Amino acid sequence: MINDSNYEKRLREVWKIPQGLASITAVNHRVIGVRYIVTAFIFFILAGVLALMMVLQLSGDNNNLMSHETYNQFFTMHGTTMMFLFAVPVVEGIAIYLVPLMLGSRDLVFPRLNSFGYFVFLTGGIVVWGSLFLGSAPDAGWFNYVPLAGPEYSPGINIDIYTTAISFMEIAALVAAVELIITIFRVRAPGMSLSRMPLFVWAVLVMSFMIIFAFPPLVLTSIFLAADRMIGTHFFNVAMGGNPLLWQHLFWWFGHPEVYIIAVPAFGMVSTIIPTFSRRPIVGYLIVAISMVMIGVISFGLWVHHMFSSEASILGMSLFAAASMAIALPSGAQVFAWIGTIWDSKRVEWRTPMLWVTGSIVLFTIGGLTGPMLAAIPWNWQVHDTHFVTAHFHYVLVGGAVFPIIGGLYYWFPKVTGRMMSERLGKWSFWLAFTGFNIAFFTLHYTGLMGMPRRVHTYLADQGFDLPMQIMLVGALIFAAGLAITLWNVIASLRHGPPAGDNPWNAPTLEWSTTSPPPAYNFLYIPMVHSANPLWDDKKRGEEGPLGYQTGTDYRETLGTTALDGIPEQRLAVARPSIWPLVLALSVATVFMGSLIDLIFVPIGAVLSFIALVGWNWPGKQRRRGL
Amino acid sequence: MKQKGGILQAQDLPLNLNNRRAPMWLGWVGLIVIEATLFTALITSFFVLRMTSPEWPIGGIQRPELLLPTIGTALLLASSIPAYWADHRGRNGDLRSLRIGLITGLIIIVAFLGLKFYEYSHAGYSWSTNAYGSVVFFIMGFHLSHVIALVLKTIVVLVAAARGYFSKQRSVGIQTNGMYWHFVVVVWLPLYFTLYLSHYIFGIKGG
Repeated sequence: MINDSNYEKRLREVWKIPQGLASITAVNHRVIGVRYIVTAFIFFILAGVLALMMVLQLSGDNNNLMSHETYNQFFTMHGTTMMFLFAVPVVEGIAIYLVPLMLGSRDLVFPRLNSFGYFVFLTGGIVVWGSLFLGSAPDAGWFNYVPLAGPEYSPGINIDIYTTAISFMEIAALVAAVELIITIFRVRAPGMSLSRMPLFVWAVLVMSFMIIFAFPPLVLTSIFLAADRMIGTHFFNVAMGGNPLLWQHLFWWFGHPEVYIIAVPAFGMVSTIIPTFSRRPIVGYLIVAISMVMIGVISFGLWVHHMFSSEASILGMSLFAAASMAIALPSGAQVFAWIGTIWDSKRVEWRTPMLWVTGSIVLFTIGGLTGPMLAAIPWNWQVHDTHFVTAHFHYVLVGGAVFPIIGGLYYWFPKVTGRMMSERLGKWSFWLAFTGFNIAFFTLHYTGLMGMPRRVHTYLADQGFDLPMQIMLVGALIFAAGLAITLWNVIASLRHGPPAGDNPWNAPTLEWSTTSPPPAYNFLYIPMVHSANPLWDDKKRGEEGPLGYQTGTDYRETLGTTALDGIPEQRLAVARPSIWPLVLALSVATVFMGSLIDLIFVPIGAVLSFIALVGWNWPGKQRRRGL
Repeated sequence: MKQKGGILQAQDLPLNLNNRRAPMWLGWVGLIVIEATLFTALITSFFVLRMTSPEWPIGGIQRPELLLPTIGTALLLASSIPAYWADHRGRNGDLRSLRIGLITGLIIIVAFLGLKFYEYSHAGYSWSTNAYGSVVFFIMGFHLSHVIALVLKTIVVLVAAARGYFSKQRSVGIQTNGMYWHFVVVVWLPLYFTLYLSHYIFGIKGG
């Protein structure tokens, strides 16, 4: 047996994270994960500021804080950023960080692809936000309907930014989805059969499959629109036989699953955090896992419910209405499993992460109630495109995704940084955000029912919206103050938080069995798993820690196991740091972003991408690892 | 499995299995599923436009003749045979057969590309003529870009093979190239149905 301290040293050497300037070549999943999360939260703050400015604009009749053109750009950027630059990347970042740790692996199976995805996301985000500061941001709403977004009614560069950046950035989501699925099927710890997999990993698996089937149509329809605008095709031009509804169909084929792409991993976080603080395994593990899969499947049968006011066939609409109501069943099953877990607990610990996820259940349930209302076609026609819809999806998305994500931030921050966050600030933050959110967004149900359309930058004095919109402003400020406290808490705790230790919450999953923060190689020995809650059950059996596998230290090596039962079958050498992911990302960016300047950049970028791909895969002397 | 001091040694397990259990192989499956979804959306777009347009093809464009496209389809299908042979010989270390098979396949593919180039440069309409032209040229363009990518990728595999990179123990690159080849061929069949046969099965609409 190799001497232990020597083994540790060699592991550290081979998994070393490049520092300084060389850190752009880093591929370790935790580095990339943190990059994703931090970048996504920066976009979250920027988009939040836009929202506050919009509420400020709406706080008085005939307000002229901003022009309607600016307002159009603001609400478009708010939606686009929250969907494409915050919600999807942040859950992916959390998944990239956590999944290998939860699975007991040393890394994802495709670390370079992972790094490539991040650079694509970053480049796309910078271009989109750069356009806002130049005053030419997309301005046709986050779902960018034609003909408004077509060449005739939006001649400027604004929509070109949308079409190119969106189709470009979705590459990042797609590669992350593929590498997460294969990681989950290939490198789970020995003994971790699918039925012992943490629920968060189940959620990531469902999310990734949904991304694979939902994002290609979005990429395609964005390219259709880009072509309509740049090279004179007629996909959406009625005069030449095109059809604007084609955009709506392809967009919502993506767009509705998108809601659950964001929500399912957030559900996974709720299903992880609640059992930890309820001190018991989740009630109905199997039901929760199956519910997530069902949500993933049914969510592809809902998209027309975004189009009830544009489609004609009543039979078709009725089918989609039925599916829209059916998805309440698995969602409800999960909620009951969470309630059951808390109910059956002997001693619930109301720590900050638990507060956020419980708050999320409340908000998501309220949003869930307006869901079936909107799925009823006559009601939908009545409130279509009003603040009522805005209220509904903010309850669903903020309640269903943002609250769990912040709960997750409090929960995993000690693992990532090795320091605890302040409980006192966390609780203040939660109660302010929860109260402020409800004040702000419950009001929107009312203004919506009274007929206030969304995406309109002002209203008249005698319409009676001044008071509710001022209430909304107060609520929004309280909400923002609550979130600002969390931001402060993060910054302060990074420096002054008390040391966390390996497992501050006494949680059951594998990521808590290693140090905080984990070493570059994650686990000294690849752990072995005997149950769905290994850290709790091993303790019960009186074992010190899981028995483990020692891996080789000649390359970055992790243990490959079978897809269903997690039986060790191979050693997997994964990639070392490399500059090629960055080169490829910039080459692909040349194709998409270059097309904004001149179409000649499309073939140039394609050639560059080919060169980068060959360079990336070229078998060098270092790579005797047989891939 | 050696076990010393409670710690199991992984070193007896094979390094990077050389078959479908390799993550790389699954990665290519992932790419293929993504692209198949993309083609599904393209075909959907074709038929949505056909459904809502009063005439199809639009604006006096004739429906395509079947002869040349059918020959092209047969060529493309035929290219899978040497590719299959190259793959199965190559993964057993027979690099000469790999080379012969892939080059034969490439020659057939280039003939297919030539036919398509001829066909669409004589089509009499383009992507900017009307929505029919747009969707037809997009479907063709997407597929052709895949064919060209396949050609380039195969050349890279050939060069790597010539430099002695592949062996019986290291052939996942050969296997995934073969798989991608068959995908590019098979995905053409629904496209062939959409672009050509559908006009004869569902008839010409309006006009």
